[in-house]
Amino acid sequence: MEIKIQGVSKHYFSEGKTIKALDDVTLTIPANQIFTLLGPSGCGKTTLLRCIVGLESPDSGEISIGDEVVWSKDKGIYVPTEERGLGMVFQTYAIWPHMNVFDNVAYPLQTRNVPRDVIRRKVEKTLHFVQLEGFEKRPATKLSGGQQQRVALARALVAEPKVILFDEPLSNLDAKLREETRKELRTFLTELSITAVYVTHDRIEALALSDSIAVMRAGRIIEIGSPQKIYFDADHRFVADFIGRANLIPAKVVKQTENATVVESPLGVITCQKRDLAEGATVTLCLRPEFIRVAPGSGKEGANVVRGKVETLVFIGEAFEMEIRAGGELLLAKVDADTRTQVGDVLHFTLDPAHCLLVAV
Amino acid sequence: MDANRSKLTFSLILIVGVLTVCPVVMLVIGSFSEGLTAFGSFTLQKYVEAYTDPALAEIILNTVIFVLGSSTLATVLALFLSYLNNRTDIPCKFMFRIISIIPMMIPHILFSVSWALLLNPSNGLINLVLKQVFFLDHAPLNIYSLWGMILVEGLLDLPIAYLIIAPAMASFDVALEESSKVCGAGPLRTLFRVTLPVLRPAILAAFILGVVRSLASFAVPSVIGMPGRVYVLATHLYQMIATGFSVDYGKAAAIGMSVLAASVTLILVYRALTSESEKYVTISSRGYRPTVIPLKGARIPLFAVVALLSFVLIVLPVVVLFYTSLVPYSMVPSARAFSLMSWKHWIEVLRDPISLLSLKNSLMLGLGGATLGVILSVFVAYTIVKVRTRAAGILESLSFLSFSFPGIVIGMGFMWFFVRTPLYATIWALLIGYIATYLPYGIRPLASAFVQVHSHLEESSLVCGASRMTTMRRIIIPLLVPGMVSGWILMATMFVRELTLSVVLSRPGTEVLAVQILRFAEDGLWGRLSALGIMMIFISTILVILANLVGARFKPMEGGG
Repeated sequence: MEIKIQGVSKHYFSEGKTIKALDDVTLTIPANQIFTLLGPSGCGKTTLLRCIVGLESPDSGEISIGDEVVWSKDKGIYVPTEERGLGMVFQTYAIWPHMNVFDNVAYPLQTRNVPRDVIRRKVEKTLHFVQLEGFEKRPATKLSGGQQQRVALARALVAEPKVILFDEPLSNLDAKLREETRKELRTFLTELSITAVYVTHDRIEALALSDSIAVMRAGRIIEIGSPQKIYFDADHRFVADFIGRANLIPAKVVKQTENATVVESPLGVITCQKRDLAEGATVTLCLRPEFIRVAPGSGKEGANVVRGKVETLVFIGEAFEMEIRAGGELLLAKVDADTRTQVGDVLHFTLDPAHCLLVAV
Repeated sequence: MDANRSKLTFSLILIVGVLTVCPVVMLVIGSFSEGLTAFGSFTLQKYVEAYTDPALAEIILNTVIFVLGSSTLATVLALFLSYLNNRTDIPCKFMFRIISIIPMMIPHILFSVSWALLLNPSNGLINLVLKQVFFLDHAPLNIYSLWGMILVEGLLDLPIAYLIIAPAMASFDVALEESSKVCGAGPLRTLFRVTLPVLRPAILAAFILGVVRSLASFAVPSVIGMPGRVYVLATHLYQMIATGFSVDYGKAAAIGMSVLAASVTLILVYRALTSESEKYVTISSRGYRPTVIPLKGARIPLFAVVALLSFVLIVLPVVVLFYTSLVPYSMVPSARAFSLMSWKHWIEVLRDPISLLSLKNSLMLGLGGATLGVILSVFVAYTIVKVRTRAAGILESLSFLSFSFPGIVIGMGFMWFFVRTPLYATIWALLIGYIATYLPYGIRPLASAFVQVHSHLEESSLVCGASRMTTMRRIIIPLLVPGMVSGWILMATMFVRELTLSVVLSRPGTEVLAVQILRFAEDGLWGRLSALGIMMIFISTILVILANLVGARFKPMEGGG
């Protein structure tokens, strides 16, 4: 089901100051996709999620889920949380400690007065789906973090909602388990073809899980796009910087060609991905560390080749992280683990025009 | 919703404020007044009289020795026991749990009386035995002394000290000790340089709480101190307001002010220490177990010491009381004693109208007071934990304050207040006083229950489609029930045995169990006292069992569909 959010604002008053948790957000979350709200803490992503589920009410605007308006300031509509028929996985999982696994999962069906044998069958099916068969009688408190997470998922799924919401569901797991669970979750959600709204501040999680990502900052949506679009082709400097490590270099547009934009920067004249920018405009050149490559052999000066001195070299396992001083700028580059480069070497580096990204200042 | 919440907060501040601040204010005004009936006419006379009393110096000295001695005894014993339990391979570890909980069921006055029955110089059972065995003319031991008081009070404060020190000991990170050993320190140096300093906040907290409790203690000073003419501040106050011809509430209030000030100061220190101790003791990750030190040859002797302690704390008082309630007068257990046993004292008690009245009053105060107290505690705990505004902070401080109130002093404050109202000499005066003084005992378990109910648990139920009512019934109440039950048990048992507040507020017609037992003790009617005491223990036990049964009924069905 599609979720439409129109002109939604939410303000808090704290210690005499007004905090804009949501600042006139308009957004359409497409049906049957995994849609991620990504942003630093305090950007309003959780508030937006809680407004969708109805645990908080916005100050203005309208929210509709499918064809039903669930909240509207002007029309005076407020559908309470319990009547919205959604599923949600909380950051703390919110597994009820006084119930066993079966009762936790059966709860949404029990509140809908589903017959007992149907409940039993559906709970069994859902627990099988999240790979927790045989855990029915286990007290909820006797589960590991990963298992609790799956009980929470089963509870959100059991009533077959059209929309499921996730509030940083992986942030309480340790790194390895988080990676596994992320993959599992992706499989589960793809299999179900359900509208999923996922809130996180972890960029890798967002990139790995989502069909679409909306990057938020200070109560506003900055940019929406597919993970590739957000990573390689961001329009905003904030987004490019937030979604991955980037070298940000001030530059000036000097020339527009047929399929490229040429800029002048401390690194020299660089040919970049085509952008619709006026000549003479001040921009930021964004270079991802993995696309700064050591030129083979002695290298030669030319288009998109930069000469620089290796200042530090840190082995991180799958690669070396190298800091290069070039044109007065310090560039971070990632080079293969089997490189023979040493600190102090002066080398040539090539920058692929397809990965030289220009963003507004 | 916010408006409702702040309305709730302010009405609670008003209620708790009246309950806790009102007696203090009345005490202050009272100490500057001519007397109970001449309230408000200002005079400094009472302070001058009270503090120039030549007997006061000795009373204060006695108090200091009594208070420091008993707190030291309790803390050292608690440290010893919690070390044995958490760090050694001593057998029967379940005993430590019993030691820390069961003695709370035995009222202090009965514990004191049982020691008086054993060790009093004229016919104490142990003294009689020793005289027979060693052919002595005089009783070798005398409980009616400062040392006797310290011994009994120290044993009484042991469980609470243990409950503070044991968790700190259990969460102690052994790596701290191990690194000291790696650095070349021997076991003794490690103990004094590392273990004890790290545990210092918990040890100090236990000690200070012991000081506050023994300063407020009335059972031991009245049952053991007064017969030996050893007076401390609590009994000094009692004498001024309850015995003799010249009852003087003003003078008592003037002395009471110092006791109250000392107690409040100590509780503030205690509070600072316990919040400090959370920073201090490192609680390690899940599944962590400290290394266990093998006791080897010392295992059995140390176990014997622990067994003796639990015998002395739990079995002995009950057995002595039961025995005394059956024999006609104090006599060493023998064939003759058993042949003379009868239910005579029990029948006398059950025919005594005042004893019956006190049974009825205490039962009503226990049931009604604990129920009202828990209802108030639910709202206060909710506000403290969930509302968390600045006003809620004030409420927390207010409700914590009464933790430091010495019953007899605060009872005088209430007296100044009630004498001006129609509540004076009614059971309602006792009810209000009890709830005001013991409110923290209800709030604490409920506050931790509310902490457990994370707002996500509630919200998640709403998302699942449950209405507010269903959420209340199936999620919130079941999670609160354990807190409500333990709050109720704590309050009900406290109220059934309440002595220090009652000796001031109880009047003809509103006698309660502990006061009636004190009267029997003063008259030397040990047989009746013991019979009534056993009934008192029985009532407390029944209340605890009932509360647990009710709590279990409220628990939702586990398993099934």
